[in-house]
Amino acid sequence: MKDSKDKPQIDEIGCLEAINGLYAYLDGEMNDPESIAKFECYSRTELETALGELIRKSAKGKAPEKLQNRLRKLIDGI
Amino acid sequence: MTDSEAKAWFSRGIEECMDSLYGLALRLTRNNANAEDLVAESVAKAWSALATLEDKERFRPWLFRILHNCYISEYRKKSVRPVEYGYDDIVVDGQEDDITGFLIKQPDDFLNWWGNPEREFANSLLGEDIVSAIQMLPEAFRIAVLLVNVEGLSYDEAAEVLGVPPGTIRSRMKRGRTLLQKALWQHANEAGLITDDLERGSKS
Repeated sequence: MKDSKDKPQIDEIGCLEAINGLYAYLDGEMNDPESIAKFECYSRTELETALGELIRKSAKGKAPEKLQNRLRKLIDGI
Repeated sequence: MTDSEAKAWFSRGIEECMDSLYGLALRLTRNNANAEDLVAESVAKAWSALATLEDKERFRPWLFRILHNCYISEYRKKSVRPVEYGYDDIVVDGQEDDITGFLIKQPDDFLNWWGNPEREFANSLLGEDIVSAIQMLPEAFRIAVLLVNVEGLSYDEAAEVLGVPPGTIRSRMKRGRTLLQKALWQHANEAGLITDDLERGSKS
């Protein structure tokens, strides 16, 4: 994590450009190393990354054992 | 590949995807029993359709597509349907002012508040709140968030699952994220987790 004093603020990047770029960065859809570097030190990126991680953890499924056994039986029988 | 090799390969692939398949099915049907039936039916269909899998590296999106199609054709009508946020799925350039306004201002307040280390106790409440907020998203946004954010698919892969262009996934992710953040921000306000002092503190 870099020093927050050095981070560009949202108004300096341009709000809409920043949001669009940020989401492309978060979803792994950004390829330009210079842009990636810019977003890696953007304060909101850290927070959105943390929120994204919480969403991932909260919504991740765990197949119940009953279903796991049902699927194994199904595959055995085909 | 012999039949037994194909079966062993398929079995390994399903083992690796079981949790994801169940997670997606549960968030779509919102019902444990229906989710289990949907997964089992999708796996059976996937085995019958294995010859149509062109690229074995894309097994997951291919499997998710089968599950999604199976949900649309057989399970959607049976699903429990809570009140969803009232946003349509039509994204027209230049008509996103309401969304953009919220994206620019309110989520920063929310995220600044949420990211405050002193709010640890509130963070522990948010797991359940996040699941409820996801469940209330309109289906088109919910599935995009699940595929990209939760399952880590690229826009191209998510587009393949849903049979839409990648640009549509980008738009749905933007709206889905905004709606989620808005719902969480409103929940935090309603639950009294955000006070004037904290709001001022988060902006300093």
